[in-house]
Amino acid sequence: MTVVLILLTTLGAAAALLSLALPTWAAQAVTVTSGVVCLGLSFVLVVPTSHAPVQAGFLRADAVSTVFLIATAFLYAAAAVYSIGYLRHHAGHGRYLQRFYLGLNAFGWSMLCAPLVDGLALLWVAIEITTVVSALLVAIDRTKSSAEAAWKYVLIASAGLGIGLFATIVLYYAGSQVYGTSYDLTLSQMIAAGHRLPVTPVRLAFVLAVLGYGTKVGLVPVHTWLPDAHSEAPTPISAMLSGSLLVVSFYAVLRYVQITSPTLGAGFDRTILIVFGVLSLLVAGLSLLRQRDVKRLLAYSSVEHMGILCLGVGFGAPIALAGVLLHVLAHAAAKGNAFFAAGVLLRKFGTKDIRQIRGGLDVLPWTGPLLLCAVLALSALPPFGIFRSEFQIVAGGLGDGKTTFAAILVVLVTVAFLGMAVSFTRVLFISAPRTPEAVVTRGEPSAWMVAPMVVGLIALVVLGVHPPDALTHLLSQGVIELGSGGS
Amino acid sequence: MTGPVLAPGVVQAVQVLTVLVAAPWVTGVIARVEARLQGRRGPRILQPYYDLGKLFGKEALAPRGSSWLFLAAPIIAFACYLTVPMLIPVLTSYGLPLGYLGDLLGGGFILALAAFVVAVAAADSGGPYAQMGSSRATTFGAITEPVVLFVVFTVALITGTDLPYALAETVRSSAGQIVRPAHLLAATALFLVILAETGRIPVENHGGTNEFGMIEHARTLEHSGPYFALLSWGSWMKQLILYVILINVFLAPWGLAPTGTPVGVLIAIGALLGKCVVLGCVVAVIDNSFAKLRLFKITEFVAAAFLLAVLAVFTLYLGGG
Amino acid sequence: MRPPAPGVFDGTANTVAVLVLLIEFGMLRAALLRSQIRLYAAQSLVVSVLAGIVAAEQHVPELYVLAVLSFALKVVIVPWVVLRLVRQAHAEIAGSASLNVASAVLVSIVVAAFGFFAVGALHIQSTALPTTALAISVAIVLVAFVLMVLRNDVVSQAVGFFSLENGVSLASLVVAAGLPLILEVAFLFDLLVAVVVFAVLMRVHHDQRASLSTSDLTELRG
Repeated sequence: MTVVLILLTTLGAAAALLSLALPTWAAQAVTVTSGVVCLGLSFVLVVPTSHAPVQAGFLRADAVSTVFLIATAFLYAAAAVYSIGYLRHHAGHGRYLQRFYLGLNAFGWSMLCAPLVDGLALLWVAIEITTVVSALLVAIDRTKSSAEAAWKYVLIASAGLGIGLFATIVLYYAGSQVYGTSYDLTLSQMIAAGHRLPVTPVRLAFVLAVLGYGTKVGLVPVHTWLPDAHSEAPTPISAMLSGSLLVVSFYAVLRYVQITSPTLGAGFDRTILIVFGVLSLLVAGLSLLRQRDVKRLLAYSSVEHMGILCLGVGFGAPIALAGVLLHVLAHAAAKGNAFFAAGVLLRKFGTKDIRQIRGGLDVLPWTGPLLLCAVLALSALPPFGIFRSEFQIVAGGLGDGKTTFAAILVVLVTVAFLGMAVSFTRVLFISAPRTPEAVVTRGEPSAWMVAPMVVGLIALVVLGVHPPDALTHLLSQGVIELGSGGS
Repeated sequence: MTGPVLAPGVVQAVQVLTVLVAAPWVTGVIARVEARLQGRRGPRILQPYYDLGKLFGKEALAPRGSSWLFLAAPIIAFACYLTVPMLIPVLTSYGLPLGYLGDLLGGGFILALAAFVVAVAAADSGGPYAQMGSSRATTFGAITEPVVLFVVFTVALITGTDLPYALAETVRSSAGQIVRPAHLLAATALFLVILAETGRIPVENHGGTNEFGMIEHARTLEHSGPYFALLSWGSWMKQLILYVILINVFLAPWGLAPTGTPVGVLIAIGALLGKCVVLGCVVAVIDNSFAKLRLFKITEFVAAAFLLAVLAVFTLYLGGG
Repeated sequence: MRPPAPGVFDGTANTVAVLVLLIEFGMLRAALLRSQIRLYAAQSLVVSVLAGIVAAEQHVPELYVLAVLSFALKVVIVPWVVLRLVRQAHAEIAGSASLNVASAVLVSIVVAAFGFFAVGALHIQSTALPTTALAISVAIVLVAFVLMVLRNDVVSQAVGFFSLENGVSLASLVVAAGLPLILEVAFLFDLLVAVVVFAVLMRVHHDQRASLSTSDLTELRG
C-alpha cells in the first residue's frame, strides 16, 4: 500500500512538470493518464482502508481520506478529459495550454496530497498550496474580471488560511500539554490524545479552524470569494474548485471535529457547525433565486451543498455522518457534471447569461439531458446519489431530535431547488427565438466534453440506486472513525 | 553619608529654586545645540537671562478693553509653575513634606490651570493671533489630555499609587521594571506629549515667527514687558518641569539625593542638569530632523501617543506588561 | 490589584512583541507603498530577532535555523519581490485608504483591545514566552485585517496578509516553540510560494487595470 500512497502524492507533480516540457497533445495524454491512474489508485485504497488506516511515513490514509481522495481524483480525471474538448478551439494556443495543464496537474496533485498527509500542519500546507495554485488558474484567462476574481480569491482565502494556521498552532499548544513541547502534529497522535487535551485551547482551535478553513469551504459569511472565482475560472477548473477543492477544505474541518469532539463533547462543535450550515443554506438559497450567470448559479449551489455537509456533521448521528461522506462523492459527480454542461453551453452560445441561452434541449442532444439530470440530482431528486445522502442526513437529524434544523434543511433545499429549476427550465426548455442572427446549429461541440458527463451520470445513478458493497463498508468504517472519539 | 542634614523645608525650597533658576539655562543650551546642528554659532547659553533682564526693564502695555485677568494671568501661571516642583522628585529620591500634597494628576491639574489662565488671557486680549493660538492650544490640549490620563493609569497600575516618588522607586528597584513594555510605552507616550506641550517639532516650529503656524507662542503675542518676561520664564519652567517628570520619574531616576545632605543635593542638581541637557540634545536633534506637521496632521501625532499609552495599559491588564 | 513585575527576559520579550505590534500600526499610517514594505521588512526582522532570543533563552537550537531562514525570506526576499513590483509600476507611489489615519488608528485600537482581552480571558500559559506576547500576536493579526480592509491597493493588501503571517509566527513562538523544524520550514516554503503567486497576481492586476488600486474591482457582485 505504501507504493499506492507514494504514487498518489507524486504522479500529479510529475505530470505537471512533464506537461511543461511536452507538446500539447502529449501533455493532454499525460494529464489524462495521471488523472485516471490516480482515480484507479484511490479505488485500490478502498478495501484496505475499510479495515484499518494505511500509514507510510508522512502519508496516511483511512476511510475518511479515501472518500475525499475518490471525489478529488474523479474530478481530476474528468476535468483532464473534458479539457481536451473545452480548449480545442481556444484562441491562445501554445503557452496558454502549457500553463493550463501545468496548473491543472498541480492543482489536482495538491488536492490529492491534502487528504493523504499525516498531520495538521502538513494538511494546512497542502491546502494553502491548493489555494495559490487555483488562484493562478482563476487568473489564467487574463481578463479584467478574472484578475479581479483571482485577487479577491487569493486574498480572502489566504487570510482565512492565516486563521487556519493560527488554529493549527493553538491545537499544537493543546497537544503539547499531553505530548511535551516537541512532537509531530500527526493525526493519529492527535486523535489518540482524545479527551486529555485541555478544553480552552481546543475550543479556540476549533472555532478558528471552522472560520479559517470554512473560508475555503465557502461557508457564509466567509464565502464571498467563491461565486467570483467559480464563475471566472475556466470551466474544468470551476468543476474542480466546486467538487473537490471545497470538500478538501471541508475535510480539514472534519478532522478538527474528529480531534476536538472527545474534549469538547458533542454540543459545542455541532452547534457551531449547525449555525454555519443554516446560514450557508439560507444565503445560498436566496441568492439562487436571482442569479443571471449560469456558473455563479452553480457556485451558489455549491455554497448550499457545503451548508448541507456542515449540517450533516452538526447532526452528528452515524447515519447523518454516512450521509455526509456519501454526499461528498455524489456532489462531486453532480456538480462536476453541472459545470461541465455549463461549459458546453458557454462554448455553444458564447455567453454565461441565463437570459440569452435558450433551447438547450433542442440544440444539445447529449448535454441537454445530461444537464437536466445534473440539476435534478443537485436538487436531491431520486434516483440520484444526492437524494440518498440528503435523505440520510435529514434522517440523522430527525433521529437525533434536531427536528427543527432538519425541517429548516428541507425547506431551504426546496428554495434552492426552486431557484435552480426556474433558471434551468428557461435555459433548457424554452425554445430559441427564430431570428436569423440567433440561430445556433444543433450538435455537440466535442465528444471529449460529453464523455466525462456520461461517466458522472452513471456514478450518480449507481450511488443513488445501489452503492457497491465495498463503498458501503468504506463509508461505515469512515463513520466509525469519525465517531471513534465517542460522541 | 554623614554630615549635616538640611531641613526638608530647605531642600524643598532648593527644589523650587533649581527649577526657577535653571529653566532659562536649559532653554539656552537647547537653542545653542540647535544652532550648532544647523551650522550656526548660535546665541550665548545665558542669552535667555539677558532677555529676561531686558524685558523686566521695559514698560508693560495692555490692549484697550482687556480686563484685569490679562495682567493677572502671567502671575497666576508663574505661581503655578513654582508650585509643581514641590510635588515631583526634582532632587530627592524620598518624598519631601509637601511632596504628598498632590500626585501626578494633581501636578497635571496645576499645569492645566496655568495653561487655562494663559489661554483666557489671550482670548481676553482681543488680538486675532493670540486668540487663534489660544483656541489651537486648547484644542490640542484637550486631545493630549487622554494620553496623559492613560500614562497616569499605567503608573497607577504598576505601582498601586500614582505618586511620582513611588514610580521612581519602582523603576530603580530592578532591571525588569525598565524593560517591561508598559513602562517603555508610557515613557514614550509621555515624551511625545512633552514634544507637543513644549511646542517642539513636529507639532510646532520653536523659533518660528510665522503667526499662522504658531500654537503655544501665539498666545503671548499681546503681552509685553515684565508680563511677557513672566510668561516666557513660565513656559521655560514648564519645559523643565516636564523634562524632570520624564527623567526623574520614568527614564533615569538615578543620581537623586537619598538623604538631605548638602553634598547629595549638590550632586543631584548637577545630575539633573546633565540629564536635562542630554534630553535637550535629543529634542534638538528631533527638531532638526523632522518637518513640522500640517495643523490637521497633528491629530495623527497625538493618535500615535494615545496608541502607545493605551497599549501600555493593555499590556498591564494582561499581567505581563 | 497590582500585577507582579515580569522578569527581565519576559519584559524584553514582551517589549519586542509590542514593537512588532507598533510596526503593524506604523504600516497602517504609512502612506507610501515603499515605506510600508520597509516597515514589513523591519517587522519581520524583529520577529526573527525574537526567534533568536527565544532560542537562546529556552535552548532550542532549531529556532536559530528558523530565525535565519525567516530572516532570509521575510526580510530580504519578500520585500525585494514586492519592491520590484512597485518600482515597475511607476505610476503610483502612494496607496489610498478609506479612512483617515487617526480614525484608522482608533478603530485598530478597539480591535486590538478585543484581541487582547479575548486572549486574556483564555488563561493560556506557556513556558517559552509570556502570555502577553500571545495576546499581542492576536492583536497583530486583527490589526492586519483592519489594514487589509481599509487599504485600496493590491500592494498594501498583500503586505497586510504577509504581516498577518508575521503575527501568527509570533504566536507560534509563544505557544509552539517546540514545533518541529520540518514543519516550520514547510510553513516558510509555503509562504514563499504564496509570495510568488501574490506577485504574479499583482502583476496580472496591474497589466489589466494599469493601476495598483483595487477601488474599481466592482464588476463581480451578487
